[in-house]
Amino acid sequence: MFLEAKDIVKAFGAFRAVDGADISVAENEIVGLIGPNGAGKSTFFNCLAGDAEPTSGTIRFLDQDLTRATPEAHARLGMARTFQVPVTFEDMTVLQNVMVGAFLRHPHRTDAQDKSRQVLEFTGLAHLAGSPARSLGTPGRKRLEIARALATEPRLLLLDEALAGLTPAEVRLAIDLVRKIQQQGITIIIVEHIMEVILSLAERAVVFHQGKVIAKGAPRAVVDDPAVVSAYLGHHMKRVRM
Amino acid sequence: MRTWPPIGIAAFLIGFVVIAAWPLVVQDVFYQRIGALVLLAAISASAWNLLGGYAGQVSVGHAVYFGAGAYASLVMFTQFGWPPIAGAPIGVLVSFAIALVVGTPTFRLRGHYFSMATIAAAELIRILASNWPLVGAAVGLMGPPVPRSIWDLSFISPVPYHYLFLAVLIVLLALTWHLQRSRMGYYLAAIRGGDRAARSLGVPVLRYKVYALLLSAGFTSLAGSLYAIMVGFADPDSTLGILVSVKMLIVAALGGAGSLFGPLVGAVILIPLEETTNAMFGGSGTGITFIVYGAIILLIARFQPGGVAALWNSILHRRQARVS
Repeated sequence: MFLEAKDIVKAFGAFRAVDGADISVAENEIVGLIGPNGAGKSTFFNCLAGDAEPTSGTIRFLDQDLTRATPEAHARLGMARTFQVPVTFEDMTVLQNVMVGAFLRHPHRTDAQDKSRQVLEFTGLAHLAGSPARSLGTPGRKRLEIARALATEPRLLLLDEALAGLTPAEVRLAIDLVRKIQQQGITIIIVEHIMEVILSLAERAVVFHQGKVIAKGAPRAVVDDPAVVSAYLGHHMKRVRM
Repeated sequence: MRTWPPIGIAAFLIGFVVIAAWPLVVQDVFYQRIGALVLLAAISASAWNLLGGYAGQVSVGHAVYFGAGAYASLVMFTQFGWPPIAGAPIGVLVSFAIALVVGTPTFRLRGHYFSMATIAAAELIRILASNWPLVGAAVGLMGPPVPRSIWDLSFISPVPYHYLFLAVLIVLLALTWHLQRSRMGYYLAAIRGGDRAARSLGVPVLRYKVYALLLSAGFTSLAGSLYAIMVGFADPDSTLGILVSVKMLIVAALGGAGSLFGPLVGAVILIPLEETTNAMFGGSGTGITFIVYGAIILLIARFQPGGVAALWNSILHRRQARVS
């Protein structure tokens, strides 16, 4: 299996934010993680990315045990991520931000620069290469985070609400970008609130509720699952079907 | 990277010529001495800048490394009769050891907590030195009273020190320039931007913080040795005191922390100011120095957190915007 997380528990004191969650992902698919606020999907996501250490359970990626590995080890092995609230390097230009990622596989500056320019071209940020990162708005920042992650040449890309806060037009552009990334052979796990995104992008959805996985399968089937509807999607469903 | 605008190249060349020719043009020993002190402050602030500026880890305890360099030079003289400069490499090694033992654990802390821990560690070592007879306890140590050979580097005129310090500063700035263009420079900037994002991109944050600390501590220690050689004296307050740490920080922040020439610019502004107020108000003048430092911290924080370098860049950008 490409990525397999088994029985993941993440407890904060007595509270189990993630309570025995499983997920398995095949190469080159797009998997959506959904669930209401506080369902534990972000915590689970951070466990996958190495940002939080699971209390128990195992995570295997490309036949390696990554359960307690550092975030930088994840990056080296080919797992990259974006953050829910973008954390771009404000003092640096867009190009320099991406170069930080590119240096992982290209230790020499000119190589890292060439790689970064390719990634900026691919993500449609080439015209902003010389702008300071702090001059970007939310859509630009989210896109820059994706570019920076892609520069590390990942096999698996973890997107944490990469489309939240975008206008519908920007969402469509972002969806196109995610599809393009998949066509490069990269596997994608996406945490998302916007159902439209999950329904149009993800091949499989995994639904979290109170730290547990309550449903998984094709997104259309999952949103019709009564357990899911009662957990949180009730009012969303009507909007989606309109 | 950015190419330099002509006005930047002009400023660089004029600055270099003025600094290189200063002690030859100015005949008054008081002003010659200020020139050497400016370069010494620029060396220690540039060394501080590697960690505090480029990596964004604001140390307020760098006096530890400065003091280690100063004391190492003079201890080698008082114990073994070596020329003080021979103690400089020992000081660097001692600083590396202190950096690894005391400095590395403080990297577990972030932001202000890191800064406060560095103060605590430095004060602890100052108090230890004040009670340790080998390093002269509270009285301190003296260098060779009369030069025994050229290797004692003991000169009455400040001019030889000026060129010695200038050579060291050029080496340090050349190294810094190379570093900021390399992977390490980008990684340090990423660490300054945020540990979490940096790690997600595969930056081994702790390892690079330690690299920056070792480089920074080594050059700060060298600055301490040079200070002890020029002044011929070291005591806990003048080499290990908190004012020594604060001065490095202020000089760098005034000129622009995290920029190549920021610390030099800061030293050119601050040191003459400090020396003339000391001369005007007599005595040690440390009270006035504290007030000047405090005022500068307030002004930088309120009006120009990026220091003179940021001011300069914003003026350049406005010019370029007008031109294009």
